[in-house]
Amino acid sequence: MVRFKHRYLLCELVSDDPRCRLSLDDRMLGGLVRDAIARVHGTFGAAACSVGFAVRYLNAYTGIVLLRCRKDFYQLVWSALPFITYLENKGHRYPCFFNTLHVGGTIRTCQKFLIQYNRRQLLILLQNCTDEGEREAIKKSVCRSCLLEEESAEEELSDSAGEEFAEAVNC
Amino acid sequence: MSNAKERKHAKKMRNQPTNVTLSSGFVADRGGKHHTGGGKPSQAQKQELHSGTSRQRQIKTSPHSLPEPDVNEQSSSKNMFKKKGGWKAGPEGTSQEIPKYLTASTFAQARAAEISAMLKAVTQKSSNSLVFQTLPRHMRRRAMSHNVKRLPRRLQELAKKEAEKAVHQKKEHSKNKCHKARRCHINRTLEFNRRQKKNIWLETHIWYAKRFHMVKKWGYCLGERPTVKSHRACYRAMTHLCLLQDLSYYCCLELKGREEEILKALSQMCSIDTGLTFAAVHCLSGKRQGSLMLYRANKYPREMLGPVTFIWKSERTPGDASGNRQLWIWLHPTLKLAILEEIKTVCLCSEPIKSDVCVPNPLPTPVQEKSHPELADDIVGKKRKRKNDEENAKPVKKIIGDGTRDPCQPRSWVSPTTGIIISDLTMEINRFRLIGPLSQCILTSALKAAPVHTGEEDTEESPHHWWTDTCKNSDSISLHQRQEAVFQLLGGISSPAEIPAGTILGLTVGDPRVNLPQKRCKALPDSERCQDNEKVRQLLLEGVPVECTRSFIWNQDICKSVTENKISDQDLNRMRSELLVPGSQLVLGPHESKIPILLIQQPGKLTGEDRLGWGSGWDVLLPKGWGMAFWIPFIYRGARVGGLKETAVHFQYKRSPNIPGDFPDCLAGVLFADEQAKDLLEKYRRRPPAKRPNYVKLGTLAPFRCPWEQLTQDWESRVQTPEASPIASTPGGEKSDLRRHKVPCAPVPGKIHHSSTEAGISENQLTEPEAMDTGCQDQAGTEKVLEQVATENHVAATSSQLCVLRNRKLLKQLSAWCGPSSGDRRAPCRDQQELTTEACLSILTPFPRALVWVSLSLLRKGSPEPHTMICVPSKEDLFRLSQDHHYHGPQESRHSDPFKSLILKEKEKKKMEKRQNRDTASMGLAVGELTTGQEALTRGLWSGPLPGMTSHCSRVLLGFITQGDFSMAVGCGEALGFVSVTGLLDMLYSQPAATRGLVLLRPPASLQYRFARITIEV
Repeated sequence: MVRFKHRYLLCELVSDDPRCRLSLDDRMLGGLVRDAIARVHGTFGAAACSVGFAVRYLNAYTGIVLLRCRKDFYQLVWSALPFITYLENKGHRYPCFFNTLHVGGTIRTCQKFLIQYNRRQLLILLQNCTDEGEREAIKKSVCRSCLLEEESAEEELSDSAGEEFAEAVNC
Repeated sequence: MSNAKERKHAKKMRNQPTNVTLSSGFVADRGGKHHTGGGKPSQAQKQELHSGTSRQRQIKTSPHSLPEPDVNEQSSSKNMFKKKGGWKAGPEGTSQEIPKYLTASTFAQARAAEISAMLKAVTQKSSNSLVFQTLPRHMRRRAMSHNVKRLPRRLQELAKKEAEKAVHQKKEHSKNKCHKARRCHINRTLEFNRRQKKNIWLETHIWYAKRFHMVKKWGYCLGERPTVKSHRACYRAMTHLCLLQDLSYYCCLELKGREEEILKALSQMCSIDTGLTFAAVHCLSGKRQGSLMLYRANKYPREMLGPVTFIWKSERTPGDASGNRQLWIWLHPTLKLAILEEIKTVCLCSEPIKSDVCVPNPLPTPVQEKSHPELADDIVGKKRKRKNDEENAKPVKKIIGDGTRDPCQPRSWVSPTTGIIISDLTMEINRFRLIGPLSQCILTSALKAAPVHTGEEDTEESPHHWWTDTCKNSDSISLHQRQEAVFQLLGGISSPAEIPAGTILGLTVGDPRVNLPQKRCKALPDSERCQDNEKVRQLLLEGVPVECTRSFIWNQDICKSVTENKISDQDLNRMRSELLVPGSQLVLGPHESKIPILLIQQPGKLTGEDRLGWGSGWDVLLPKGWGMAFWIPFIYRGARVGGLKETAVHFQYKRSPNIPGDFPDCLAGVLFADEQAKDLLEKYRRRPPAKRPNYVKLGTLAPFRCPWEQLTQDWESRVQTPEASPIASTPGGEKSDLRRHKVPCAPVPGKIHHSSTEAGISENQLTEPEAMDTGCQDQAGTEKVLEQVATENHVAATSSQLCVLRNRKLLKQLSAWCGPSSGDRRAPCRDQQELTTEACLSILTPFPRALVWVSLSLLRKGSPEPHTMICVPSKEDLFRLSQDHHYHGPQESRHSDPFKSLILKEKEKKKMEKRQNRDTASMGLAVGELTTGQEALTRGLWSGPLPGMTSHCSRVLLGFITQGDFSMAVGCGEALGFVSVTGLLDMLYSQPAATRGLVLLRPPASLQYRFARITIEV
């Protein structure tokens, strides 16, 4: 088809300092990545990646970031990501790093991957949890995510994973 | 980004998740409290408004992703900070919120919320495409769009929903029957009957609907103009051949009672000034048709009701003691309501008669229509057609006449004191009009007088017993034969104009369908018929004898029986096919229907000097139900059919006012003008401002309507005082000079009270005419405002409203004055007055706000259109015209548009507010206020109250044109319209005798004035 092909990088921002999340917004993040590219790949790299580069999605609570760039130069972006070690905000520096979870051709595949990934994370969380109250809360949220899926199942492709989770939670 | 594009984008993105950040203090405020377990407040998983387009993307699921009780539960167990908006406080503030310990639950909740958001984004279709379009090419199958089963199972649910939506959006499917069933006669009749419920159909409706553009007007469905290009052809038909029109929509009111009583009652409604009344000798005897103007009782010359024509039924015997007479008043449907009410009050008829005649069997259509689907469900495989047929064994009857009328509504009223019975015969009688010289040939060849019933086989049951009864009487037979002879003579006369105007001829004719020609042909005058010159001459001289006007159509019972006993077309065709020799003449014998008809000669152009008698013809009155039976034979004899537009053209060439558009002083005319103005404005607004004329710049104040009230008022205040009227010592030249000085400042919006200041000036002139000059105008105006207001009030009290001058004597005088140099060319009549002050005043005092119907013909180029302005030429124009015979006329200088800047300013303001609204994100509310707060200005139109009409442009406005076009009869532009009598007299007085009657015409969308000659035709 006639369109610009993109690559979407689904990343996770990992930081020890919770304050780093406070200042997280798309413009700041975009600048950060751009700076890193310029630092690593020089002017050519910065120029090559600036076309079509965008932060498509950002969740400060989970630290999920979706970056978009042109297909031709996505490797430049990708390779620059590990060089981001600090999040700068108003003179404060918070150490952090990017963890690339998935590289996809469409937003949709990234979203699908993210659903899977989050479920897995929740299960891990549930298994590792020791506190009873915590456990209840996590159970609740897991249930909710599964229930939601069942609700939307009428208009959706049935996802076997959801049922699996439900079983896992129940037992 | 344009609005539509934005909306499309928003629709596409509505399911996509938005960014979630911590940066808003909004979250904390909303929750009332926030806990900082791990710095991840749980309820912060809600959408947040960003500027620009992302504003609209909202996660619908997020708000309910965390129910409130949940939050409270958790927060109670958690260590939390009550401080609000702490995050906004900056890094220093945040240091307090560093969690003491981590909790996994908030983390999990955040994950869960994200999952739901993503799920929504992934599962829900966001694009505008249909479900099957989301499939890749190789998975698509034919017929997927309407067969859900063709889709993959996972998409079937979605597709089903989509299909349902599409069905709802579509218009209600009316074709619940197959084509063949719909064409079947019963169902068609049912359908036609249903469609006649709202608007009355004429009997020729189906014929018209196939060939004409139909319009719904006045409660009828009428053909407006033919679909073929035929403007010129219709004109030719009117002048040389024959044009046929269905005027059955005209309403007929019947008055029955003693002659004196009727005359006494109706004489209040008309005036001898306007012409002959109901009591005119020729009309009263029943020999002629009369026409007159009706006014509200004793209100002449104000409160016009409308023009009508009337016919009296001739007396059976001259010395009939009872004196019971029958009068038919024919009028246009728009005038019916007002006139009927007025006649009822005049005749003191208030008691409605419950007539059993007019209650038809209630039409069974709706019930049966509804029962069909149920039946279809019951018997699926069986032929349900049969059953239905059995069910309604009695055949469905076609609606004849008025289908919209409520059967319980009274149609006749009786007066207890005078004994007059008024009945409303609307749609009871068909009226066809034949215009043109060939109309009599068509009549004589299409209609054959009914054969006299001679046989003795009366014993057998004939439906036409009334005719057999008549034929037993020798007097009646001789009368019928005389009528037939006169009718035959008509064929020898070359034009209907030769016969006295309004001649009536009664006749009983046979079924015209029987001798229908095989092919459409042209009826030509037969020279053989003219051999009886003596008789023809006698007919032309004396007219049709009174006895011959008798017709059975006056008798309701006979009409009813004739309507009921009509042989249907189907039967007739069947009989024709059963003839032994195919194509031979069908002889029905005694079973042939006899139809009483009435022929009325319609006078053509009666006024003026040229083309006298143009457009004359015959009206044929038929009992209802027989419309198509006569219509087709007429057409087969070469008549061309016209619609409403052709009627208007006919009126225009006749130079007579068209109903209801050319009666500005009656209610129907005012309504018509309002409707027309609305339509034209809508049409104007549909064009982009750059592609339509800017009427403000052209100096046209009212391009879509003619503000008669204001025009006459302006003229009245202009020439109110004796010195300002033409009689005064101030010569006209100086006055026009004065006007020219004032004009340049007219278009400034601040001077909306221009007219009032001007009126003040004229008053000032009254006291000291010599001291007045243009310099101190404004001052004088302001000084005199109070006084002027007082005088205006006085004026309003004395002369209530505008009227149209219809007094024949005055019109004759005016028309004589309008002509150029009446001195030597024509010998002045004995009662002819010179154009003097006294004469003018004598006209003006009773009619201070009068209009007069004028016809104009252009001297040279130019074709006028409706709403063209009639203006007074200045001295200079006349001078230049006398110097140069090819002088077209002056040009109006372009006016400035004060509204353009206003509109631009408004637009700018709106834009600014919109921008602000976007920032505050309280769009909906503010926009609502904005639109309601102001009324929209239209670019290129004058808004607000109109300034002084007469002196807005460089030439003084005199009146407006209501009909106008290039005249094919004369070969130049011709127009008809109204001018203010006051203005006309003023103009005539100031003009030199040689060029008297010259005016300027300017169409609303042009700056060019053209010369025209004004004439008043009586």
